[in-house]
Amino acid sequence: MRLSHSKRSNPLHRRIHIIAWLALLSLFCLRPLSGSCRGEGSPPSPSERRTIGSVANHQHVQIAQAETDPGTPSSDESLKSIPDPLEPINRLFFQVNDRFYFWLLKPFASGYGTIVPQPVRVSVRNFFSHIATPVRMVNCLLQVDFKGAGTETTRFFVNTTVGLAGFFDPAKKRFNIDRAEEDFGQTLGFYGIGPVLYINWPFLGPSSLRDTAGSVGDGFLDPWNYAVTSFPANLAVKSYNRVNSTSLSIGTYEDLKEAALDPYIAMRDAYHQYRQKKITE
Amino acid sequence: MRLIRLCRALLPLIACLILIHGTTAVVLAGEATEQIRETTEELIAVLTDPALQDPGRAQEKKKLIRTIADERFDWEEAASRSLARHWVERTDEEKREFIVLFSDLLEATYMDKVDNYSGEHVLYVGENTDGDYGVVQVKIVTTTDAEIPVEYRVRRRGDSWVVYDISVEGVSMINNYRTQFNSIILKSSYQDLVKRLKAKLAKK
Repeated sequence: MRLSHSKRSNPLHRRIHIIAWLALLSLFCLRPLSGSCRGEGSPPSPSERRTIGSVANHQHVQIAQAETDPGTPSSDESLKSIPDPLEPINRLFFQVNDRFYFWLLKPFASGYGTIVPQPVRVSVRNFFSHIATPVRMVNCLLQVDFKGAGTETTRFFVNTTVGLAGFFDPAKKRFNIDRAEEDFGQTLGFYGIGPVLYINWPFLGPSSLRDTAGSVGDGFLDPWNYAVTSFPANLAVKSYNRVNSTSLSIGTYEDLKEAALDPYIAMRDAYHQYRQKKITE
Repeated sequence: MRLIRLCRALLPLIACLILIHGTTAVVLAGEATEQIRETTEELIAVLTDPALQDPGRAQEKKKLIRTIADERFDWEEAASRSLARHWVERTDEEKREFIVLFSDLLEATYMDKVDNYSGEHVLYVGENTDGDYGVVQVKIVTTTDAEIPVEYRVRRRGDSWVVYDISVEGVSMINNYRTQFNSIILKSSYQDLVKRLKAKLAKK
């Protein structure tokens, strides 16, 4: 991607460039971390990565099936968990996120939740989800899921009209048409790319190398990134969405901590299982 | 969004079992589904019994809930699966101790949640059984209209079906604990795991 040095360069383009460089950088950092099957010094070819990923994914699914099949002796569980070579850093960021949640996000979201009635907050959540339709639709198409794409199209039309610009969800309530939850991370997984390694981003939360790349990809599909091009305003919108969503589920992170012996591992494993399930759906 | 959904994926065991309200839609009601529904209704009866609302009878209420849960939940199977390959390395004494610790952990964690019931209801979606094992699929509809898919993994024990694992949005509780326990055992030792379990229980 050409870096623009013009003084009048679009801030959105600048941001996209930065993100694109970060993504490329992180993909190349894959090299030393993806196992010994490649020779040193050569970046993995996309097909090689896909093969490795598909083997990794296949092993995940195989082991998962072996574990749930009764009577089968359980295999090496290390294959079942997501690789976590960055564990020390991830644990540090886990603590950062923990403080962030209890000191900032939760108080904000609770206060917001006291002022704004729940139906309104649910409607806001519906709206944000509605606006993100292109992300789901395109990823359905990329996964050759025409039924899902059709679902999203139908939902978009129904919820825009009857649902008043997406604040309500009559497509689900009246016609029982479920959202087709797809994103680029799942698309990459669909084509055999494994999670590669676990990354726990500060403020953003758990992710994997694949899913982070997926989020970058989805950034190009997100209408907000075109409608609101100024970075501070864009950040404000995304932050508001986060606060609103959090206000609707305060207590779930606390429950995770309380139930777990090691909350960091609990969250990492839950994330991994959740994503595996979403990909196979 | 993902973070929140994933946190929600560790909804309490007993909260899942008891979240039933009034009449529920039962689709393809198999034997396992029926038994789970019965247990759930028994639990609800205890929770909504006005005579047991009195804080003086809280201990009695907890005992009743535990008795009902014991009928439907297979603690031994859950505990052994959560230790996975480390289970066979344990002595009988250690196994007995672990089953007690594990079931106490789950009870202590989730017992407080049973009072949080606030109108959610359960849709029974389906059931797959194959011989002595099976899966019961339900959907929990929350007050914010979110539908959460939950799966109960069941196995036949004599005449009844017992639950040994609960998956919420694809996240299996037993797998989750297994990863945690495995990590702790590999990093330090099984004895350290037991120590940490006891410490956590002491705090509750």
